[in-house]
Amino acid sequence: MDQQQLLAAHEAIDLHEIINFKTLGLAKSKLMQGLVFDQELRALMEKDVQQTQQAIAELQAVYAKAPFHAPVPEFRPTPILN
Amino acid sequence: MNMQQADPIKMDYLDPANALNMPEMADMTFAMDFLSRVKEGVRNLSVALTESVSPDLRALLRTQLRQGIALHQEISELMIRKKWFHPYGLKEQFQLDMLSLQNTLEISKQRFFPDDTSRKGMFDRTPDAHMGGSEA
Repeated sequence: MDQQQLLAAHEAIDLHEIINFKTLGLAKSKLMQGLVFDQELRALMEKDVQQTQQAIAELQAVYAKAPFHAPVPEFRPTPILN
Repeated sequence: MNMQQADPIKMDYLDPANALNMPEMADMTFAMDFLSRVKEGVRNLSVALTESVSPDLRALLRTQLRQGIALHQEISELMIRKKWFHPYGLKEQFQLDMLSLQNTLEISKQRFFPDDTSRKGMFDRTPDAHMGGSEA
């Protein structure tokens, strides 16, 4: 864990935003495919799904170097409020 | 379950007249959503790129930015070809904007869902049940 390998705080925060944006976009492009009629539009959404899966995997590897990285538990650490 | 219209409109959502041009209207809406998501992604990535210093991260973000720009082009070309988007015909674009906003406003006035949409009783357990998540 040498300090050089960690991301700078501002980088890590922007990465956090990008990762969440991509995660939501992945869900949306996947679910929307069940609603669209036009098959060409659907094909573009599927392309977005493929690219985003790859993008998230790559970003995830870098996110592990965030200064606030922590072991990932099986369940969320805090209860969901009603 | 009370499914009465609070503010009755001419047709309800079960009226087959609503199916006229519905697929085209729906696809135009989904495509517009898709386009604006990819466009927002391009902007977000540029912001992140100009905040990053690590060479690995910069290279990654740059590749993804290029991908986003290419996808944005593909979607806009598709939308132009399908006549869902008229960047060179602002009068037509204005008409489409007005039609989709009217249509969406009408849809938004309808009552689609029952009053109580909490379906938690249908689930055997929730991920945080072991820590009393339901009592939080």
